[in-house]
Amino acid sequence: MTNDLNLRRARGNDDGEGSLQTRANTLVKAADHGTPLELNNITIRYGGGKGGADAVSVVEGFDLTLHAGEMHCVAGRSGSGKTSILTVGAGLTLPTSGRVLWEGESLESMGDDEIADRRRALIGYVDQGGALIDGMSALENVLLPAVPDGEVDQRRDMAKDLLDLVGLGRRMRHRPAQLSGGERQRVAIARALILGTRVLVVDEPTASLDRASANRIISILKDTTSDGIAVLVASHDHELVRLSDTLTELI
Amino acid sequence: MNAVQRFIRSKVLLLTAAILIAAMCLSVLVQTQSQAALNRTVDENSRGLYDILVQAKAGSGGALMQPEIATGQGGISFDQLQGIRDLQGTSVAAPISLVSRVTQNLEAPRLEAMDYLGFNSGLVGTATAGDPSATDPGKWPAAESVLDETPKKYRLTASATSSDGSSEQTLFKSSAEGTLGKGRLVEEQTDGGTSVRIAGPAGETGIKFPAPAGGSEHNLFNLTVALPMAPEVTESVVAVDPVAERALLGTAGDFLAPLEKAPPADARNAAAVGQHFESLFTSGISMKELEEGPDFLGVKLKYWAPLMTQYQQAKISGQLTEDSQAIPLIVRSGTSLDLKYSVKIEEIDDAGNVVKDVGTVDRSLGKDYLPFVSKSPFALSWPGSTDHSKLLGNPASFGRGLYTPATWSTNFASAPKYADGSTAANGAVDKTATAGEWVTVNRLPEKTAAGEPVDQTQRNPVDERSYRENLDTGEKLASPLAMVYGTFDPAAVQEAAGDVNRLPLGGYDPTPLTLTKDAQGKDVQDTTLKPSLSATGLASQSAGAITDYYGLAAARGYEKNASVIDAVRVRAATPGSWKQVQPDVEKLANEIRDMGLEATIVAGSAREDANIFVPGYSKDGAGKESALGTVQQSWVRQDAADAVSGSLTATNITLLFLTLCGAALLTGASTVSYVRQRRREAGTLRAMGWTQRRIRSWVLEEFAVGAGLLALAGIILSLLSWNLATVIVSASVLVLYAAAAFFAAQQLRHREEIDQEPQHDERLIAVDSPLTFANRQLTTNRFNAISLAVAVGVFGAAVGGLIALLIDIPRAAGASALSGMAAASVALPSIILGLAGVAVGLLLTLVTGRFELQAKRQYLGTLEAMGWNPDMLGQVRFFENVLVGAVAVPLGVLGALGVGLLLAPYAALWAAVAGLVAVLCWIPIATKVVQ
Repeated sequence: MTNDLNLRRARGNDDGEGSLQTRANTLVKAADHGTPLELNNITIRYGGGKGGADAVSVVEGFDLTLHAGEMHCVAGRSGSGKTSILTVGAGLTLPTSGRVLWEGESLESMGDDEIADRRRALIGYVDQGGALIDGMSALENVLLPAVPDGEVDQRRDMAKDLLDLVGLGRRMRHRPAQLSGGERQRVAIARALILGTRVLVVDEPTASLDRASANRIISILKDTTSDGIAVLVASHDHELVRLSDTLTELI
Repeated sequence: MNAVQRFIRSKVLLLTAAILIAAMCLSVLVQTQSQAALNRTVDENSRGLYDILVQAKAGSGGALMQPEIATGQGGISFDQLQGIRDLQGTSVAAPISLVSRVTQNLEAPRLEAMDYLGFNSGLVGTATAGDPSATDPGKWPAAESVLDETPKKYRLTASATSSDGSSEQTLFKSSAEGTLGKGRLVEEQTDGGTSVRIAGPAGETGIKFPAPAGGSEHNLFNLTVALPMAPEVTESVVAVDPVAERALLGTAGDFLAPLEKAPPADARNAAAVGQHFESLFTSGISMKELEEGPDFLGVKLKYWAPLMTQYQQAKISGQLTEDSQAIPLIVRSGTSLDLKYSVKIEEIDDAGNVVKDVGTVDRSLGKDYLPFVSKSPFALSWPGSTDHSKLLGNPASFGRGLYTPATWSTNFASAPKYADGSTAANGAVDKTATAGEWVTVNRLPEKTAAGEPVDQTQRNPVDERSYRENLDTGEKLASPLAMVYGTFDPAAVQEAAGDVNRLPLGGYDPTPLTLTKDAQGKDVQDTTLKPSLSATGLASQSAGAITDYYGLAAARGYEKNASVIDAVRVRAATPGSWKQVQPDVEKLANEIRDMGLEATIVAGSAREDANIFVPGYSKDGAGKESALGTVQQSWVRQDAADAVSGSLTATNITLLFLTLCGAALLTGASTVSYVRQRRREAGTLRAMGWTQRRIRSWVLEEFAVGAGLLALAGIILSLLSWNLATVIVSASVLVLYAAAAFFAAQQLRHREEIDQEPQHDERLIAVDSPLTFANRQLTTNRFNAISLAVAVGVFGAAVGGLIALLIDIPRAAGASALSGMAAASVALPSIILGLAGVAVGLLLTLVTGRFELQAKRQYLGTLEAMGWNPDMLGQVRFFENVLVGAVAVPLGVLGALGVGLLLAPYAALWAAVAGLVAVLCWIPIATKVVQ
């Protein structure tokens, strides 16, 4: 697969402000400790067995610096490596080479438990389709990230507020099977925000949604950035691409 | 795409059909093989040396025949024996009878203290003259003695003990005191010259035990103290027809060859035989010939001494009459009878206090003991003694120190009586004498297994002309003389004759007894009771001697065609295994019954252990009886072959049934899996306008392909095996498959899902930990969780069943000879089926586990993305499996218990434990696998 990994297209938003361009230029700067997420020279290959002769290269030398309050969109056709970049950024998989830094600290130096703990505090991950847990209500799904820290009861009100915020205040006792695709996405976003995350990693949030539902999701994501949350989103939704602060288009 | 193509495409259907066909083939194959092996083993091992045991009509017996050779009824005449032999279906008819009991008095025990007086021509001159083996008198050592010049006072305590391997019985204990000193030569002038005699030192009282023991006596080489009598040993004697017996036993019966050559009845007159030997010794006989045995009518009579000793004694005592018979005997070699005779010697002062413990000497009835041919006199040596009698050389005298003749008796026990506290004329005091009945080997039990008294009298003798006549008055007592021709090894006979040898009157060996519980009913380590002298004479050993029917006539008396035969062992002429010969054997038995005799079909019987509580085994000094406990003895169960076959066939069919159950569950699980795969496809077809009926037909067509394959396999298997079980198995599997097909088709029906406003379920536990999360997942996916739990339970039950089989097969092997062999022959097929059950259980857990695997992976990934660390994810997996295991445990344990009870009841509890362990082991393994 051929990827133009260094293609970075800075573009203005609808109101024609040039701040995105400015911010995009900052992406190539050296990371500072305040940077929530930074990907340096990331290469991702799959398969290959011994010697890696048959390995399929998905991503080569990818760089990204994601600042607080910034929404970066990774676009590209199916199979171009969008989800791979997201899972590497969220620390769910390790890159073949390159460095992933969370608030300036490399994941290489962390063990599995520490990565999990840091991810819980820093990263909110929203899988394609929401990936809610069947058999649990929307509210329970939102509270799941609080289980490891034993903060389920303490965060219950916050979970309700978040569900209200994403427009599901009246559907919090519904189970995933009783929710529409857009609703499931919104529950997943609420769940990703429950621990006060600083980076929201969202995979194809508007795929297979109608325009209205998609716009609702995009709006929510955009709103989170205004709270200082950095958003890394993979999508080929034109509207989402258009509203992103920065964009990486994978070929 | 037609139904066949769709069937092939549907891997689940293909897998299901393959599993069912494999289960059918395996079950039928294993069951057929197992049944064939079972039948073969049972048939080949259910025919012993003889097929029918013929006895005179007697009371009805139970299923178990007690192997006590003394309980035969007798009463078969020689004409009847000949009638049996003349039957067309008879190959061998071997008669056997219990002749009598012979009480064998052991050598009178004595204690010899070296009190060697040195050479004196007046005493030993003639004894050594001309004997080259004698030591030159000039080279005799100086006189010496273990006794002092001045007599000292000694206490001798003689005792006899016997042990059955479990407990020791003191048969008697008797003490005597007196003074002993070094002997001296006394020269006295008599009318004819000087007389030299041996006398005790001045002041010696000597030591005397109460009669019949006698007192102490000095001679040239030692001082001899006559000790209390050793216990009597009673041996049983059986009579056989040597020719028929050899035909029955094969080469193991070669020891009976001398009896075939034994002199005919008219050449067995005891007086004539005795005179013949006397003339042999008078005319001279070489040492070599003496050792090999003098020739008597072409037979080397190696053990000639008992006959001659008895002959001389009978002649002297006037008991030898013209009717006295010499009875030919083959005697048993060796004995395991435990009897220890010991004498404790203490030097004491006048007050009776021990001054010096001189020592204790003892002798045991050794392995070289031969009934009627006692080779080890019970002579004990005073500590420090030396036997100087060898200085006299070999006198070649058969009369010195040899044998005490056997006394023929119908008594089973004799009881020497000792008077307590009696004082001998020489001052010896009988300090203690524990009176007790002498009990003999092979005595009848005092009580039956039911606790009823047993008639202790032997069967009424038949015209005992020779020695029983006038026995009451003692006027004309005529002892039969034991003429020993050779020996036999009872172990060799037992091995050759096998289990049937131990049928009542079938052979020579009562079966041994094994103590399993004490008198209080507590388990003890299994101890095979050795033949011993005890209060009841329960211990048994094989016959002491075998004679022929002339010997039987001599002992019991003889009339023309007397009914002296106790039993006849008949082998049918037809060769082959039990089932092959059964019709002929039954026909022969009926012909024998038509003769008015009792005919028991022994073929098809087998040995089986019976537990018997033995009361009144021992008695203390006050005569109080104590129980022995529970002993285990091999009895013979009639029709054991059919019982064993039936039992193990039932086990086979049970295994077949269980295998089918496993296949049924697997089919169900596969069907569920199929339904899940095809539900979306069915929805698409519905959307395309297919009707519900059309969709169902579409599914059933695919199943019909599998059903056709199964039916084909069933028909082929049924034709190949040609038995009903295969047809039933094939039909059952087909029905099972059809049921699964209809279930699957039913499940594909469209169901309207209504989006209802959810009701808050207060029963749901809040999710706040890995445990509650796991609980919620299982609760949500109840069907999958229960399916998996059932699968794990089946796996546990299968493991339990396998363990039960493994445990029970060795147990069965120990339970009875035939069932052990039969169980061993089907062990491998049974274990294969058990392993198949375990494999099915394992496969079930994999199939049902896969129901949820994709969803499980998905939500575990989601949790990981939320920041749940590996440890917590591990906890989720672990708790899920623990919860499934909690449901599976009762299923596994109860299932294993049930399977155990069906297959191997004795190991059912172990099966349950194994089922529990299997389920518990599954939990961490499944946790690891899901990871």
